Amino acid sequence: MVTVNNQSQPSEVIELEKTVAYKIKRRDELTEKTGHYWGIKEFTLRDADPMKFERFYSRLQSSCMAAREISRFVAASPGGREMGEAVWGLVSAEGDSIALSEGFVAHSAAFPYAINFMIERGYEDNPGFNDADVYVADDGFSCGAPHPGDTYTYVPIVRDGEVIGWACAINHIMEVGAPQAGSWAMFAVDTFMDGFVCPPTRTGENLKQYAWWDEMWKRRTRAGTMNILDDKMRLAGCAMILKSIHEIIDEFGVDYYLRASKEVIEESRRVVKDNIRNWMIPGTYEQSAFRVCLYKGLQNIWEHADKDSLIHVYMRSSIDGDGRFHADMEGSSKWDYHAFNAFPGGHKVALMMGLAGALAYNTKFTSGGNYMIDSNLPEGSIYNPGTHVAAHSNGWAQMIMVTLQAFNTLTRAQFMRGYMEESFAVSGPWDSMQGEGVLEDGTPYGYTQFELLGACAQGAYAYRDGEPAVWFIASQLCNMGNSEEFEQLTPPLFHLGRKLQPGYCGYGKYRAGLGLSAVHWVVEPGQRLTASRAGSSCGIIPELSIGMMGGYPSPGATVAVAQGTNVQELFKEGISPTTLQEMVELVEDDTLKTESIKIWKSDAPQTHLKQDDLWAQMAGSGGGWGDPLERDPQAVVQDANSGSINIPFAEEMHGVVLNRVGDEKYELNEAKTVTKRKALRAERKAQSIPVKEWYQQHREQRVLKMNMMEPVVEMLRSATSFDAYKKHYFNFWHLPEDFEI
Amino acid sequence: MEKVNKEIVAQLVAGDISRDESRTLLKMNPKDPERFWTYLEVLQERVNWDDKILLRISDHLYIVQKKETGERLVKCDCGHELGDFRANWKTSAHVRIRDTQEEINKVYYPPAAAPEPEWNEVREFFCPGCYAQIGVEIVPPGYPLLFEFRPDLDRFYREFLGKPLDDKRSDWYEDHTDKTTANWL
Repeated sequence: MVTVNNQSQPSEVIELEKTVAYKIKRRDELTEKTGHYWGIKEFTLRDADPMKFERFYSRLQSSCMAAREISRFVAASPGGREMGEAVWGLVSAEGDSIALSEGFVAHSAAFPYAINFMIERGYEDNPGFNDADVYVADDGFSCGAPHPGDTYTYVPIVRDGEVIGWACAINHIMEVGAPQAGSWAMFAVDTFMDGFVCPPTRTGENLKQYAWWDEMWKRRTRAGTMNILDDKMRLAGCAMILKSIHEIIDEFGVDYYLRASKEVIEESRRVVKDNIRNWMIPGTYEQSAFRVCLYKGLQNIWEHADKDSLIHVYMRSSIDGDGRFHADMEGSSKWDYHAFNAFPGGHKVALMMGLAGALAYNTKFTSGGNYMIDSNLPEGSIYNPGTHVAAHSNGWAQMIMVTLQAFNTLTRAQFMRGYMEESFAVSGPWDSMQGEGVLEDGTPYGYTQFELLGACAQGAYAYRDGEPAVWFIASQLCNMGNSEEFEQLTPPLFHLGRKLQPGYCGYGKYRAGLGLSAVHWVVEPGQRLTASRAGSSCGIIPELSIGMMGGYPSPGATVAVAQGTNVQELFKEGISPTTLQEMVELVEDDTLKTESIKIWKSDAPQTHLKQDDLWAQMAGSGGGWGDPLERDPQAVVQDANSGSINIPFAEEMHGVVLNRVGDEKYELNEAKTVTKRKALRAERKAQSIPVKEWYQQHREQRVLKMNMMEPVVEMLRSATSFDAYKKHYFNFWHLPEDFEI
Repeated sequence: MEKVNKEIVAQLVAGDISRDESRTLLKMNPKDPERFWTYLEVLQERVNWDDKILLRISDHLYIVQKKETGERLVKCDCGHELGDFRANWKTSAHVRIRDTQEEINKVYYPPAAAPEPEWNEVREFFCPGCYAQIGVEIVPPGYPLLFEFRPDLDRFYREFLGKPLDDKRSDWYEDHTDKTTANWL
């Protein structure tokens, strides 16, 4: 523990020890040297009076919870209020979280990046930190935000001239002011197309924002009013935390506060360490995922961005003997002129998103666990571009895969250790609709519709099917937001339907919960309405490369846009599509007539929508688990009778023969099922070859000739520009040293 | 600390555990530290061979210590062996490739969400003994096989479980996949 009131030291030394810069340096030295946070080996305060210690912590934590639950009803956009993303926290002077509200808690992993940035750039002297100042940031490069739009507020807590903590908040705002409207521009060439991006900036003092700050939101985003409401929401919560902490310190004393906070963090670090050792298995886990970025032909201004790309998200994770989780991302793509880059802070948030809740559910939620988890992010890679110009407006879209890879490492390990009840095919392919418009009266607006963001299905468990619409990988608080309220805010969009899409899941012995689909009808779009798609996985590629134990990985998300439709005529006949697939089928049988229909298994670009156009989304399924041929036949019958699956899959995927006994009513044909399953197994034998043969053919015909589409070749070129992955790739295929990709 | 009885673990493995029981397991804090040993006991009783299971790595696959030779092999519950555990077991499997839209649409629905063949191929791995589907990976053509997990078994038994394996060697935690593929050229 640092003694800040050592009377034997000269006053300038004492003053130095009170600086945030010194505290960061000292924390790092002691943590590195001892392996314990701030060198805390013994819990002197906790052990001396456990009740006092717990009472102290409960006060800190409840101040954060209260901040969340009250400030959301002081002022907030519907997104800020309803989605499970908003979080408030009490953070140490150095940036470590001591207590947090519920919500998207992994965002707290970004706090130290902002504090470090401010210290490294001299903010402590200019402008200096005063109690109740207000700072705001949303820039991944400087504050660790996964993408602009994730907006952070920081309020210094200062006692006698010493920063002793920060009240922090974060939420995802409704519109970020990029050339492409919405929350996550999928088209951005460099950071100057990311939208309204600000590094940590003092935007107010004495808990009041400067007048110019509101004007910034109004001038630089399309949803100024909504964003100001969220800004007030974050600050209101921070003000509550600030007040509470001063009261708590008045009661407990500043020395107790400083020491006990460190003990809280060290205590949770040790619990996470124990959890890793108790639940996981040391070794090396290899995982990959891919994200398409289809920019070719989108525009003719930025020649350097005119190409299609396949982004490689590659993690080689390992657990060492100390129970440390290491995520080596070497081999992931290089950064490029697209919207999907990220920075180390955002990567840490993504990593913790997969691990924080799962590894720290049985302890106080702090930054302690962050000290057990580290990464290798080579400079020049998509996670550490080494330049501030890299766009990151949709970095989160591909970083969800980092989250899934981290979480899957844990869930695979738990399966192997026998904790099968915890094991499931982790997935979370979200989708969102965003855009801008001008109402009939000339009022411009921007919007984001979060409906299919926060309500994915669970992937299949190791022993049962997943459930639909109950899972949000980012937060404990799964929900769809208040969709009806969004409808009021984006006047031209009305739901024709929202329901589970039959058959839309990863298959296996156990299947994922079904994904969701929604159909929006454009009504009176005013002078103009546009929409585009933001989301993580795209339908063109499954969300993760590896299925769990023989099951198929989660399908990605898809958007279909039907324009110039006769939908109003269909209404008169009682026909109305309620899912994407229904809409496509109505077009295919010529019932729904259209001027055009486009199915986007990638990011639907910004599209102008007119009266009676339909925008359909399908997202949020999960992965399967195990061999589909081993699925309990009665579960297949149940799926068929509940309209949950595509009926031909019963026979061809699961080998279950159904007798149709009524309108959409089926029974099991046991005898034919036995025969069919034998036949499918024999088919596997006939249609498969030893991997040795496949390797020889594939190497000769595809690899040595680089016989694949250009984005795949470029992905390989990019991945092998990093030494470790080049070695891996060349050694696996035994390529000559001078082989050029 | 509560111990989960063998019957419950057997139900978990068989997939016929009740929702109430699985919920009870989910809520355990802390988890029962003996689980791994109970799990091995249950698994060992389910297979028809007597090589010692060291680790279950998949629904069907185990790393075993072969009784006669002491080798550490990957073994399917049907009894088929898939080689030294240090090489990716996929190199000993059979594979079926789905690389046309028609073939991919047989495992993904609806078609609007089905992966596209130019960008991916679906690799289904089967045990050459029983033809159970023991793995699926969906990757671009030209992509190496993914080695899902290579355990540091000795460290696990020694440092995490406190019961070191009796055949410790310095080269157990090596990746031998490339040695295997080198023999195929």
